[in-house]
Amino acid sequence: MKFNYSPAPNYRSALSTKRIMLELLLGLLVVYAFSLYYYATHFGTPYLMQALIIMAVSVGSCVLTEVVWALANKKNVISYLTGSFPWITGVILALMMPISIHWYAVAISAVLCILFGKLVFGGFGQNIFNPAAVGRAVIFAAFTGLTTADIVTSATPTTVMASTYSWCVTDASMVSALLDSVGGLQNLLFGFYPGALGETSALLILIVGVVLAIRKVIDWRVPVVYIGSVFVLTSVMALYKGMGMWYPVYHILTGGLFFGAVFMATDPVTTPTSAAGRVIYALGCAILTVLIRVKANLPEGVLYSILIMNACSPMIERVCDCEQIKGLKTSLITFACVAVLGLGSGVLAIHAVEPAKKPEPKPEPKPVTVNKDSKFVQDFKATVNGSTDNGDGSITYAISCEGYAVMDHDGEPNELEITVKDSAVVSVKVVKAMDTEYIGDRITDADFREQFVGLTLEDLEVEALSGATISSSSVLKAVMTALEQ
Amino acid sequence: MSLFKGPMRTHLNGHKDLTEHGEVVSLNPSKVSIPLFAGADTNPEILVNVGDEVKVGTKIAQFSSRFVIPVFSSVSGKVEAIEDQLHQSLKKVKHVVIASDGKFTKESNPTIDYEKASKEELVDFMMNAGIIGCGGAGFPSYVKYKFAKDVEKLIINAVECEPYITSDYKTVELHFDEMLLGIKAMQKMCEPKEVLIAIKKSHPELIQFVNEKLNGEKDIRCVSVPDVYPMGWERTLVYELTKKRYDKLPAEVGCVVNNATTAYMFGKAMTTGEPIVSRMLTVSGDGVKEPKNVEVPVGTSFHEVVEACGGYTGEDMVVCFGGPMMGGTVTTDAVSVERQNNALTVLKKQAIDEVACLRCGSCSDHCPSGLQPVRINQAAKLKDNERLGKLRVDKCIECGMCTYVCPSKIAVTENVRRAKRAYMMANAKK
Repeated sequence: MKFNYSPAPNYRSALSTKRIMLELLLGLLVVYAFSLYYYATHFGTPYLMQALIIMAVSVGSCVLTEVVWALANKKNVISYLTGSFPWITGVILALMMPISIHWYAVAISAVLCILFGKLVFGGFGQNIFNPAAVGRAVIFAAFTGLTTADIVTSATPTTVMASTYSWCVTDASMVSALLDSVGGLQNLLFGFYPGALGETSALLILIVGVVLAIRKVIDWRVPVVYIGSVFVLTSVMALYKGMGMWYPVYHILTGGLFFGAVFMATDPVTTPTSAAGRVIYALGCAILTVLIRVKANLPEGVLYSILIMNACSPMIERVCDCEQIKGLKTSLITFACVAVLGLGSGVLAIHAVEPAKKPEPKPEPKPVTVNKDSKFVQDFKATVNGSTDNGDGSITYAISCEGYAVMDHDGEPNELEITVKDSAVVSVKVVKAMDTEYIGDRITDADFREQFVGLTLEDLEVEALSGATISSSSVLKAVMTALEQ
Repeated sequence: MSLFKGPMRTHLNGHKDLTEHGEVVSLNPSKVSIPLFAGADTNPEILVNVGDEVKVGTKIAQFSSRFVIPVFSSVSGKVEAIEDQLHQSLKKVKHVVIASDGKFTKESNPTIDYEKASKEELVDFMMNAGIIGCGGAGFPSYVKYKFAKDVEKLIINAVECEPYITSDYKTVELHFDEMLLGIKAMQKMCEPKEVLIAIKKSHPELIQFVNEKLNGEKDIRCVSVPDVYPMGWERTLVYELTKKRYDKLPAEVGCVVNNATTAYMFGKAMTTGEPIVSRMLTVSGDGVKEPKNVEVPVGTSFHEVVEACGGYTGEDMVVCFGGPMMGGTVTTDAVSVERQNNALTVLKKQAIDEVACLRCGSCSDHCPSGLQPVRINQAAKLKDNERLGKLRVDKCIECGMCTYVCPSKIAVTENVRRAKRAYMMANAKK
């Protein structure tokens, strides 16, 4: 009979870290499944394969890096891996990748993020920065151009917003143009648009997030405060600039905010441990996200804000070190201060941003006209080669007149037949157009020639062929000569 | 649950059905070893000698240096020895060993009629009858009433929030009239505006039973409280019923809290003169063959109690006096049942698969004291005494919540306990 000494309590809940990680993985795979469906149905098999390759390379590289690390440190590989969960990082990293990224870039960033994001700090539970975010930052810093040649997608809603609209649009027609270009706000909610693999469907991530929060896999506070604060902050900015409620909605639905808030900002290892600390942390993420978007004009506010707030976590924890009930006031004051600061800087930031202007409509090029006084008309020489009386009172003159060919390389003059009746032009016929092919020889165009019909010597003026003013002048000179006869 | 703090409590599987509706068995041990133990006070005045004849209720010792706590014989028979034995605290403590004659002849102790007695007389009676908190802590009850004033609520705690334990429920069910008498006397002693009997809402039959019995009583009513741990802790219970938090004692917010079994013991002492000599003990857990409630004389050995419940189910056991959350473990079953024990929980030894802390903060969210165990562990690792003070490690009540909720299966409570001891010792040296 053995009576074990075992300090109280001798009772444990069923929830384990392994189960938390398993359920998180399932949640991520649901999001990935949507992504596969979208690329398979909207783009076809090569895109589906590319999405599979990205996932395989990312997870494979993460796991392999940890295997090598475990071997190098003479640890049991299996038990090391089951307590370290590299596949979670791998899956999150893959879901943050744009579909066009080259697998080579994925592999490099996966190795770097596991090594420098996690292992060098002492492995699971010790790292300061969210490893997947580190990996994504590596891509941003070094591999944005490294894409797969035959995979092409259009711009994401955030890049459109950042590059064309500077995160500030007040003009109603531009707003509708912007929303049309992304398929409307409801499309942003459902996620049928190109972007990072798993970041597009806000609705699906929301559903997965709610399930995970109920199952206590993630803390509900972080996504609620994060997304909520971005909404409130951008609403105030929208009010300030007179933008509609579409603006905050656009902010929360795009740029992977839902993905970041549900799957990355909730990473327990890199966030403060107390409830109050997490709330302050999430608020900080929200403010930085908006500021980075609006002021730095970068599409990826979410990623950098999470990395920056990761670095602030130890500081927040020290602020929140107290008996939680008695320290509630400190936490509330800290939260309020950060909120006011964020609101102030948000309004200042948007104040400094010029609303996107409609591109000025290009002025219609003024048509060039030629008349008797035009330079070339006076310079060119026209010769009447003969005339025919048509018997109905009209006379047709055969006229050769110098044109561009003569002026340019002493070529042949243009030959025309001009019919005149009662000092007015009846018809202009081009017998031989000697000027430059496709440019000067357009004097044969009926539209051009018919301008002359009915003109007399007094009102002789026509619109020149664009790019062929000289040839047009040549014709005018010929007509003029015929009318002078 | 709010944005800035966690729920500070959690529901846990109580396994109450193992013993709640079963029969109660009375034990008749041939020998009892009554420990002379009262917390920090280790210097009792022993009133009997080896060879003396004693009866049930004969005073055999008394502590009086800090609080007055008398100790009584639980059987009638002959004092066999006064010797050091292993106590639940795993220290050697003086025990009075009495061989029972099996007759349970009762000592004629004084009784009292609460309706005629004054408040002071009742407080003195409570002190002399050795009424201590029967919920596990063993704090002498008279102290609460001696200085009671401006009391709003007298709370009778029948919550029984630890898993497995049902002894308070059984006491309420079987000895209701004596308990009610005790409650009424307590009511007279502290003059509250109302008396609340708190029972978990997951026990509707018991609540219904109490309500029927209370029919017609003024100012005494039964309240149901959520089925969460540690609902039976004074602070959590007072907050649940008044929404007020206090610094040191519930008296600060006008509350007096006593356990239901304590009220029963007081009621019994007033009518029969018999102090706490035997008590209801829940013997449960997956390590005992026939879990049940037993009525045991104080001083009966754990071994005898477990034998009365069919014995152990295996060879590798964890034996806790009290529930599995707070009950300390003993390394042998040759230790005695004390007056404040409400349960004996016997569990099979479980293998624990511990992984690295993922800093999920669940311990901080659930700590009923509002502490941050994960931060305390980090500070303790760094031996940062100043930070431990800031984190108020001294406020830990060792309820076991942090270890229970930890998904990484780390022995958080034990680490905090050690940090607390180290912190207290470092501060004592200053």
